[in-house]
Amino acid sequence: MASEVVEIEGHIIDSLILAKVMDLILAAGADYRVLEVEIGKTNVDMSRARLEVSTPDADALQSLLDELQVHGANRVVTADAELVAADTDGVLPVGFYSTTNLPTSVRIGGRWVEVRQPEMDCGLVYEGLIYDGEGRLTSVPMHRIRIGDLVVVGTEGVKVSPPSRPRGAHPFEFMNSDVSSEKPKALLVRRVAERIRRAKASGAKVLAVCGPAVIHTGAGPSVAALVREGWVDVLFAGNGFATHDLESNVMGTSLGVSVHEGTAAEGGHSNHLRVINEIRRYGSIGAAVDAGYIDGGVMYECVRRGVPFVLGGSVRDDGPLPDVYTDVVEAADAMRYLVPGVGVALMLASTLHAIATGNLLPAGVETFCVDINPAVATKLADRGSHQALGIVTDVGLFTSGLVEQLITPT
Amino acid sequence: MTDPLGWGRRYLMCPPSYFRVAYQINPWMVEEVVADAGRAREQWDNLVATLRAAGATVEVQPPEEDWPDLVFTANAGIVNGNQFVPARFRHPERQGETAHDVAWFADAGFGVSELPIGVCQEGAGDALPVGNALVAAYRFRSDAASHAYLSHLTGAAVRSIELVDERFYHLDLTLCPLDSRRAIIAPLGWDRYGCAVMKALIPEPLVLEPDEAMRFCANSVVVGSTVVMPACPPRVGRQLEAWGFDVAVCDVSEFLKAGGGCRCLTLALDVTLGS
Repeated sequence: MASEVVEIEGHIIDSLILAKVMDLILAAGADYRVLEVEIGKTNVDMSRARLEVSTPDADALQSLLDELQVHGANRVVTADAELVAADTDGVLPVGFYSTTNLPTSVRIGGRWVEVRQPEMDCGLVYEGLIYDGEGRLTSVPMHRIRIGDLVVVGTEGVKVSPPSRPRGAHPFEFMNSDVSSEKPKALLVRRVAERIRRAKASGAKVLAVCGPAVIHTGAGPSVAALVREGWVDVLFAGNGFATHDLESNVMGTSLGVSVHEGTAAEGGHSNHLRVINEIRRYGSIGAAVDAGYIDGGVMYECVRRGVPFVLGGSVRDDGPLPDVYTDVVEAADAMRYLVPGVGVALMLASTLHAIATGNLLPAGVETFCVDINPAVATKLADRGSHQALGIVTDVGLFTSGLVEQLITPT
Repeated sequence: MTDPLGWGRRYLMCPPSYFRVAYQINPWMVEEVVADAGRAREQWDNLVATLRAAGATVEVQPPEEDWPDLVFTANAGIVNGNQFVPARFRHPERQGETAHDVAWFADAGFGVSELPIGVCQEGAGDALPVGNALVAAYRFRSDAASHAYLSHLTGAAVRSIELVDERFYHLDLTLCPLDSRRAIIAPLGWDRYGCAVMKALIPEPLVLEPDEAMRFCANSVVVGSTVVMPACPPRVGRQLEAWGFDVAVCDVSEFLKAGGGCRCLTLALDVTLGS
């Protein structure tokens, strides 16, 4: 989709020029949106209109704009965005353009350059020749800025497009409110499964972000099955989720509580510490799997299938597990590296990691936030991940439903 | 109730001392065609005499050797009372005329208001007053973008008409206002939006057939109740006479070789837009 704003001034109503321009746009298979019209009060006064013209592709737009120019409708000249070179590593220039996760284009060298992987709360760095606009434009977080990076400053020449939501193609249409516990869950699960199938069919990746409650609620085997059957391509979690997943595999408990009987195991409060300790002895989760110490569970399936995972640490972590990134900036960078190509994100009973992931995802990624607490989805939306659809339900029920939809032959 | 035109009694003309078909910038011009200088001068003198006989005053602009089309004064610019808006010619072959036109008008006491550079507009050849409006054409020689500027400069209510037939590359080959309600028109030169706009402006049109339009019938000059025409087919003449006009046919065949008729050879100096 390409669009441009044109302006036309004159006696465009009485001369039928505005009508003609609109007719020409539609006849070309393009569309217009009237942004502004000032109609002259008498037949001597001139009128002025601003139209946003959109076409399926940039070539069609150019030829339509050329045609409209004959009738006096000229492209509203947008100045190029200002680019300022960073003068300190890890510091954006003053007045830097702060990004959103929406599709964004920037005018450079007279052309609209699209941001490759939109990410919120970053700067935009342009690599290429500033006079031809043929370079790359990327969202770069503050700490990754290097001296000399050309950073977009100010908002002039920056265009942000709200994501389009075509009818009938998006799960949003079956939810009026984004977060609700009053929806038929089986229907929701079926629709999410459909979205996952569709994403996989189109070559997109499915990301699962898991909180420890996935294991506490007994959803571990379902998530493990989804990983095993190839329905999960990337996993983000913290030390807690991985620890309890490993603990439940080795000891049959999650935080000392039997995942089968739901009763506290004797001395169970230290079970997870013993497991972490052993894995630290092996050096990594992968090594523990290879040695046969771990023979099931979500982390096991990830290692076996080569599904990349990022475990982000926090200040209250026990151990932590040797695979955990203890530097949060490094953790975010590791997650950022795996985000391109993700088409569907499942946030499963996770608050902190869900929000951290939401911050990294372009708005176009379909995000389903499954939690028994509606506050998580709300919080995610409040922090800018407006695409997140909240599904208020028990994650164990939800994931077993997904397994039923995606794996169990029907 | 029809009133005669409020303009058309005073004209600027330029003798064809250096007139020739030196290049091809419209479908009527063919470089191999040679215009007969003697006959051109005779025809021009005859046109001047006819206009004067009809009651018009004719002022003469000195010719310039390098600018053969200076003879077509209609394209010099747009006159609005004491204001002159010089043309911005599309083709380099004519762009040099403007300096001479501006000099003449400045000398004659007109205030000169210029269109911005980069916007083409070929004077009264592409802009004629109809009632209170200024009908302005675009596509071949003038840009639609010039119309808003024209309105800014002159205060006129402009009606933009798109020309669609390259044989009628200027508005004055398709439109000749006769009085407050009537005009000779050749709608085959306009697009359907232009036709609709003109229909609203002209309650009683004399619509030319294609062959009549091709004989430059619309490129006529109206002085009061006299219509000075390059040609007048019987059907057209009968209608004009029925409306009370006298027709004077002036042979301008040498100028037709360059794509210009009676109107192209004249520029009305007594136009005040919006009046």
